[in-house]
Amino acid sequence: MSRDTRLLPVDFETADLRRLAVYEARGGYSAARDALTGKSPAGIMDEVKAASLRGRGGAGFPAGLKWSFIPKGDEKPKYLCVNADEGEPGTFKDKYILGHNPHLLIEGIILACYAVGIHAAYIYIRGEYEMIARRLEEAIAEAAAAGCLGRQAFGTEFALDVFVHRGAGAYVCGEETALLESLEGKRGWPRLKPPFPAVVGLFQCPTVINNVETLANLPVIVRDGAAAFINRGKPKDGGARLFGVSGAVIRPGLYELPVGTKLREIIFSHAGGLRPGRSLQAVIPGGMSSPVLKADEIDVAMDFDSLAAAGSMLGSAGIIVIDDEASLIGVLEKIASFYARESCGQCTPCRLGTSWMAKTVERLAAGEGRPAELDGLARIASNIKGRTLCPLGDAAAMPIQALLSKFRPELEAEIGRAAKGRG
Amino acid sequence: MVKLLIDGRPVETLEGATILKAAQDAGIAIPHFCYHEAFPPEGSCRVCLVEIEGMPKLDLACSTVVREGQKIRTTGDRVLQARRAVLEFLLTEHPLDCPICDKAGECKLQDYCLDAGLTVNAFSEIREKREKKLVIADKLLLDRERCILCSRCVRFLRQVTGTRELGLFERGVGTQIDLYEGQPVANNYSGNLVDICPVGAITDTDFRFKTRPWFLEARPTICPLCSRGCSMWADYHPGFPRVAGSARIYRFRPRLNPEVNGHWICDVGRYGAMALETDRLSELRWVKGPSHAELSWDQTMDMLAAKLRGLKTGGAMDRAAIVLNSRLTSEELFLAKKIFHEDLGAGRIVFADPTDGAADDLLLRADRTPNRQAASRLGFSYQGDLAAALRGASFVWIFGANREALEPVRRLSAALQAVPTKVLSAPQSTGLEPFMDFVLPTASVFEKAGSFANGDGWDQEFLPVHPPCGNARAEEGLLIDLGRALGFDPEFYAALDGPRAVARALRSAHPQFGGGR
Repeated sequence: MSRDTRLLPVDFETADLRRLAVYEARGGYSAARDALTGKSPAGIMDEVKAASLRGRGGAGFPAGLKWSFIPKGDEKPKYLCVNADEGEPGTFKDKYILGHNPHLLIEGIILACYAVGIHAAYIYIRGEYEMIARRLEEAIAEAAAAGCLGRQAFGTEFALDVFVHRGAGAYVCGEETALLESLEGKRGWPRLKPPFPAVVGLFQCPTVINNVETLANLPVIVRDGAAAFINRGKPKDGGARLFGVSGAVIRPGLYELPVGTKLREIIFSHAGGLRPGRSLQAVIPGGMSSPVLKADEIDVAMDFDSLAAAGSMLGSAGIIVIDDEASLIGVLEKIASFYARESCGQCTPCRLGTSWMAKTVERLAAGEGRPAELDGLARIASNIKGRTLCPLGDAAAMPIQALLSKFRPELEAEIGRAAKGRG
Repeated sequence: MVKLLIDGRPVETLEGATILKAAQDAGIAIPHFCYHEAFPPEGSCRVCLVEIEGMPKLDLACSTVVREGQKIRTTGDRVLQARRAVLEFLLTEHPLDCPICDKAGECKLQDYCLDAGLTVNAFSEIREKREKKLVIADKLLLDRERCILCSRCVRFLRQVTGTRELGLFERGVGTQIDLYEGQPVANNYSGNLVDICPVGAITDTDFRFKTRPWFLEARPTICPLCSRGCSMWADYHPGFPRVAGSARIYRFRPRLNPEVNGHWICDVGRYGAMALETDRLSELRWVKGPSHAELSWDQTMDMLAAKLRGLKTGGAMDRAAIVLNSRLTSEELFLAKKIFHEDLGAGRIVFADPTDGAADDLLLRADRTPNRQAASRLGFSYQGDLAAALRGASFVWIFGANREALEPVRRLSAALQAVPTKVLSAPQSTGLEPFMDFVLPTASVFEKAGSFANGDGWDQEFLPVHPPCGNARAEEGLLIDLGRALGFDPEFYAALDGPRAVARALRSAHPQFGGGR
């Protein structure tokens, strides 16, 4: 990767990038300063729309379009909520932006707020990111002291305050409406939609909710323009992404690569491939809730539309590589127990379906079941899918459905062996 | 108006109505647990999913607003499969202890499972163990195994009473209803939690294990315990032929009345009304006369009429004291006025009412009588001086409301004992019986027909829930007999035959009666 294809200057090599002086020395805050002093909010919004920036949180919704849902002429205050509740297993991209390059996020927040006309932004950060939250607050204080935030950002009439709010460790609070509830000090239960947050969001006011990485793309879009951004990605899915690779690879880590890079290239070139003697069994391409791919399905391009066409999803671009030594019933158990534990308990199919799946899988893994019971498991998953109040139900059902349909013989064999082992 | 098709039937409904409401109004019932008309949609139980033509997924009937020309299916394979799936999920952690559950027979989970033909439980894992009788209020128990987490109770305490005693704790399958810091539900509306619970999770210790809902007949009535006059259902057990005392009211529940009480009733009414059925007077007694068993109502009324006629002839009626109460029906007050004021010209007509209590800002009013409005419409001054009325009286007839209302009379027992002829008619024991010459048992509010004019001026009619106990009879009939026996204005009393004759006479004499529901 040559340096100029790096769209999102996370810039792992530069030490102390989280210090304002270092960030500014590398050109930081120039996009925000230029925008606030010389560009119109509508111009910024148009640029972001033209850039085909799709949300990096998982759903891939076009960011510019999302902003345009904020009602015009509403007298209520508007808010930006930054979703930094990075909880999807296999995902660790926002952590690096927040901890290593927080000013990139702050600059993105300034641009988004300027474009939409927002004067208060809340960063809802995952509870476990304690040290990172402290660093983020230091960075915000530094930016405010330097006049990048506050009453008169960059000496203009534009006012913006940024607040950090720490979560308390619930996965569901990464769901945007649960995040709002939690931010309001309530139990983090997703809201019934409609109304959507763009109309009735935080404190009953119009609210934009964007992922950390989504916002971190804004400075480069404003600096280089939409065309350059699209050029580096795909026409309907611009820019680069931070691919987090974990599992059975030689060099697990975070890789900043153009949207549309082939999954095979990421695993075998960038992440160093599998350890000697191992072979690829399966890949979860976009965080744990994305449907698993088989070893022969990894020539797929890593963008939202290509993965959707392949029956999976790009999600948070957290790639989990599973080699032939891993137990697939173990993978199934991890997935089922995670969603059962993280189900918020509000709606029936998710609350009772996820725990049912977890109980069944646990029993099968312990050798106390029959392979035919996988049919029952598939039935539970299909009864959850599409019937829940928030996407957590789908997130639990989809990976299980995919594992069951793609690895049925392997799972049956494992269950048979486990039962014999108890035997 | 919006026109749409539900299950192939053309339906017209108001703009902004939900699918569930539109269907309900058209007589199409869509199952629901978390939805309750009194609250905004919650959308958590997922049992009301319906199919809207052209939509990829099923939608919630409780929260989806109707659109012109929509084609909705509340039945059919997709919808029924989804509904069965939700019910099956609910049954996974449900104890299925219907045989010992108070809600069985009126449980929505039971009903919907029956409708769905769900007879086999596919769940073969180990169920969670949960608390089965957590005390959440003075009279309420929570069974967490039966709870389906519809959160109606939590929302009731947040949105209606604002007291917020219950909350949701933990998450996932461990989610449970609990009290904050162990502080019990302590508000005047706690009984409603039992009514809104769609399953047998919240039960009332007053009702628990006493009977089964299918033995009960819901009969409409009016709460007599404050001037709100809430509409209620009295759930009456008609009794088993060979079980003495098995016929009775087992509980009261709110009856929807948007103008008066909405969806709720208060605990003062709910539990207080039950108390009206206890400690009853059931036998006629004439202290100076022969054994009460031989005394009939006819004899009694003749004796009392003769006595009153004698007093009138002797010019002693100005010293006759009549103590009324505002728990009498409008018709009874009207007859009392006619007989004692117009026919006899009794000089001392006063009221002894239950004393006022504290009002709350929801339903309960300070005025703890149901019919003071009627008394004032009829021109009674209900705040007469009781002591002055009894002092040197030639005759006293006390129409007793309850023990507490007659406490001021009891304090005047010396004056009372000096009265030559003393009559008490009351539904319940009042403590004054030992002082009396005549004790006439009267019907409780739930044993008579009539109407009350509530504090807002609504005239609310009601019918008996059940027959009077023992020898008791309603004051209305008793007063008609007395009026006839007295012999004044015979045409008036001759016209009072048939069930609604007194109400008609009341309305023609006082046109301000008869407004309302």
